Parts: sequence; C-alpha cells; structure tokens
Amino acid sequence: MIRFLARRLVALFAVLLAVTALAFGSLNVLGDPLFNVVGFIASVDCDAVLAGEIEDISGQTAGGRGDCEVIQAARKEHRLDRALPVRYVLWLGDIVRGDFGTSFKNEMPVRQVLADKLPKSILLMTVAEVIGIVIAVPWAIVAAYRANRRFDRASTVTSFGLLAVPNFAMGIILFYFFVVRWQIFPSRFEDTDLAARLKSMVLPGLTLGLPLAATYQRLLRTDLITTLQEDFIQMARAKGMTDRWVMFRHALRPSLFSLVTVFGISTAGLIGGALVVEQIFSIPGIGRAVVEAVIRDDFPIVLGSVVVIATGFVVINFFVDIIYSLIDPRVRRDD
Amino acid sequence: MTRTASDAVIDTTTRRRLGFGFWVSVGWLFLIIGVAVLAPWLPIADPNETGYGGRLDGPGWAAWFGTDTNGRDMFSRTIWGARVSLTVGFIAIVDGILIGGTLGLIAGYFRGAADRVISFVFFALLSFPGLVLALLIIASLGSSLMVVSMTLGILSIAPVGRLARAATLTFAEREFVQAARVLGSTHRRIMVRELLPNVMIPMSALALLGMAITIVAEGGLAFLGLSVSDGFSWGKMILLGSSPRTLRNGPWVAMMPIGAMFLTVLALNFAGDRLRQYLDVRELAF
Repeated sequence: MIRFLARRLVALFAVLLAVTALAFGSLNVLGDPLFNVVGFIASVDCDAVLAGEIEDISGQTAGGRGDCEVIQAARKEHRLDRALPVRYVLWLGDIVRGDFGTSFKNEMPVRQVLADKLPKSILLMTVAEVIGIVIAVPWAIVAAYRANRRFDRASTVTSFGLLAVPNFAMGIILFYFFVVRWQIFPSRFEDTDLAARLKSMVLPGLTLGLPLAATYQRLLRTDLITTLQEDFIQMARAKGMTDRWVMFRHALRPSLFSLVTVFGISTAGLIGGALVVEQIFSIPGIGRAVVEAVIRDDFPIVLGSVVVIATGFVVINFFVDIIYSLIDPRVRRDD
Repeated sequence: MTRTASDAVIDTTTRRRLGFGFWVSVGWLFLIIGVAVLAPWLPIADPNETGYGGRLDGPGWAAWFGTDTNGRDMFSRTIWGARVSLTVGFIAIVDGILIGGTLGLIAGYFRGAADRVISFVFFALLSFPGLVLALLIIASLGSSLMVVSMTLGILSIAPVGRLARAATLTFAEREFVQAARVLGSTHRRIMVRELLPNVMIPMSALALLGMAITIVAEGGLAFLGLSVSDGFSWGKMILLGSSPRTLRNGPWVAMMPIGAMFLTVLALNFAGDRLRQYLDVRELAF
C-alpha cells in the first residue's frame, strides 16, 4: 500500500509539472508576453535606441519615462530577459510559495481574485453533484428493482436523451422556461446572502447535474443488477428478508464502486462544463475569470486559474485512485 | 426481482445485433450529412439574406423554422450551420485518430520506455482541463475553421490513443502477429498490415462518440466567444438566439439549432454505443 501511494504521489507531481509547463509554455510561445505587459510600444527597437540610431519616441507613459525604460523595467519585472525554462522554474517557485503575481489589467493580486471567484465555482459544482446524486440513486434503485420492465426501459431512454443534450443547450432551455417564461429564478447571479446564492445556483446546478444524474443512474443500475444476482443476495432473500432490506442493506453498498470512480472523474470534468454554464448564467466564478482573462491577455490570471483548476483536477483523481484501491485491493497491483 | 437473471440472458443474446435504432441513427446522420454537403444546390433561401422574412417570424409555411432577428431563414441557416459543425467534428476526430492512433499503436506494440513516455503524455493531456487548453490555443492563434478543428483534435488525442494502445496490447501477442514476426516482417509492416486493421475496428465506435463530443465542444467554444470565425456553426446560432430578449420573442431561433444538434448528437451517441456493444469494446473511456 505504501509503495502504491508513493508511486501515485510521484505521478501526481509529474503530471502537475507537465500541466503547468504546458500552460506556461503555450502562453509564452503562442502569445507575446512583452506585448501583453507594455502594449503596443513593445515593438520599439530598444537596441537601436540605445545605440543612438533612432530616437526614443516617449511621452506615451506617465512619469516622463522613455519607452525603452518602460520596456526594460517590464522585462526585468517579468523576467523576460531570461530563457523560457528559467522563467518557468522561477515562476513555479513563486507559485509554490503562494505568490501568483498580480493581474495585468487592474493590478489586483491574482490570489485575491481567485479567492473571490473560486468559492462560487465550488458551490456550483457541489450543487451540481448533489443534484446528480440525489436524482440518480433513487432512480437507479427503482430501475434496477424492476429491471427491463417498463419504468426501467423508459428511464434508459430518458438518460440516453439527457446525455445527448449539450450543457449549453440544457442551460438555454432551462433559462427559457424558468427565467424568461415563468420568471421563477433570477436571470443573473445574486450575491446578497446564502439563500439568494443558492437560488441563483439552482438552474446552473440542474444544467450540470441532470446529465450527471443520467450517467450515475446508468452506472448504478447496471451494478445493482449484477449485485442482485449474487449468491449472498439469494441467501439473504432465502432467509426471508424484505426486498427493501436486501436492496438497502445488502445490495447498495457493493454496487457503489463504479459510482465512486466516476464521481471523481466527473467532478473534474465538471470544470469544463462550468466554464460554459458560468457564462450563460453570469456566475462570476473561476470559469468566467479564465475566459475573460484569456480574451484580455491577462496572463497572471489565466495561469493562476489554470494552475488551480488543473491541481484540483489532478488531486481529485488522485483521491479517487486511493479510495478505489481501498475498496478494491486488486487495483494496487496496477500498471 | 427474481426476473433479473433471466433478463440478463436475454441481454446477452440480443447483443450481437445492431438493431433498428442503429439504422435509424445512421439514416439521420446520412440525411444531415447529405443536406449539409448539398446545401449550395438545395432550393433553400440564402442563409445570410437579411429580410428574407420579417423580424422573428414564427415557424410556418414560408419559413419552416421561422426567421431570426434579421429576418434570415432559420431552416436554411440550420442546414448551413450543419456544414461547419460537422466539418469541425469530422476534421477533429480524424486528426485525433491519426495522431492518437499512431501514438497508441507505437506504445502498445513496442511497450517499454516508449509506452511509458506516451502513456504519460496521454495522462498529462487528460489531466488538463480540455476546454481551457482549447481556449488558450484558439485565443492565441485565432478561430479559423482549421485552428478550431485541430485544437479539438488535440483534445481527442489522449482518449483515442489510450483505446488504440489498449487494443494493440490485446492483439500484439496473438498468433498472427507472432507468425508475421517469425516470417521476418519489419515492425512497421506488422503494425500497419497486422495490427492496424484490428485496432481500427474498436476505433470506429469511438470515432462516432468522439465526433459527438467535438460537435458539442465546438458549441461550448461559441459560448466562450471563440466560435469558428469563417461561417457560423450550430453553436454560434444557439448563442445568437440565447439573449433573453430573443428567447422571449422568438425562442425558435435558439431551439431549432438546439434540436438539430440534439438529434445529431443523439444519433452519433446511439450509433456509437450500439457499435461498441456489437464489437464488444470494453476500454471505451472517453
């Protein structure tokens, strides 16, 4: 078990390194970091200015500094004079020490921005998962109890249909009925108190939660049907236990394995869905922050958010692995 | 409750048939692909002609799917939108299969260090929130049809590659491969002539499921403001119809492309799922 844990931990850190390198690298290679810091004056040829060949057309910036001074200060501050790998390592060091830098646009510390946005996204995901589980478990139990009967067949069709609705389409449909037509829910995120926040989260939560419920229902139903054919269930039934007792005390727990795994994977997968859903329902969460930051080339915010999202994703999967290996010891001998 | 055992038997006996639903799905896919390809020659309105009908006319005889805020014919636009959405889905999944399939084949065939490196790349790619990666690339390189398709293709490398690797592993030690090796075939010949045809079979199911995912992902990108810039996809059409005002006065502007996308995704999912059961593919973790 210790060896298994150690191996997983190493893999966890390796993946985190790879993911941060990918994010940092793609932003620095695909974009022009200097341009994003200083704007259009990035095109001034400072070497030529220093050599006295051309004149520094200053005056654009406050304090009477020349363009080249601004550029050089920016280069120094953002370490653009160093090689890319060096920059990556230094940046990673900052992140590990909890320094995420400041936003290019409004000089806000990225940490503060994240601390402000992250809880909303986490609330959204929690609501979505709760909705998913609360719908899926009873649904699966009823379906498996009378497997392949009318209700089960109807619910198979329903869950298949739910899975074919793209999350933004689901969002628009719910928005149309509950906000535009019946005006039951607010159209924007209301951040006054917990009750208002939860109410604003119902529709986005349903948007993400309904497809989740369909996934969970299909999994749990299949596993329940398999479990119900096991000998110990026959035994329990032969001893005269009621269907209800057998279902809840004997069959349910051993059937939860796949659900646990997929619960983890889907929590991580929700992040992508949350990006879109936060846009539709104007929730000021981390997904919206990323989208805005990418469009405005606000690198520190993008990088900070990506690090947080990816870390969450990898850590969740790590714990899923651990939980899974506790439930099913065969997993430990993996690879 | 005691019926479950016998029902399971029925399940296994019916599994080896594609079934009626599969052919309905395939029929729908052929229909939508057909009208998408033939769109320029079909007797439908110009999708960009403003004032074809009034502003937000409801569905009726003149415009079957109604008109949008600029009086453009939604029926025609839905067909033209299919062109972009299907193209993106198709290019992306072909891309994913070419790159991911090759890498998976190499990893599964050679094992050892190559396998470890490639598997790690897949794992790292899967650990990256896909839409964020797409966002980063498209925001820097622009949102032309090719960039969007290729980016979504990159996202499908890891899942496709994992399946290709798993499928290769099961075939690599089989007799026909050993026979080829004994006969002195090169690695390359074994991979292309012996393994590839076998690996392609489970991949066909994945291609259908993957195309559904990519079409949806492209729609998601539209909501992040990064839809295909040349032309319009279903996703962009849904976005255009999704402002509260348009939704109130003309819900069909959003709902018609939603319906088209839903049916297409449903058909792709269903056909892919049937095919997967028919071919008995187990490692379909997408």
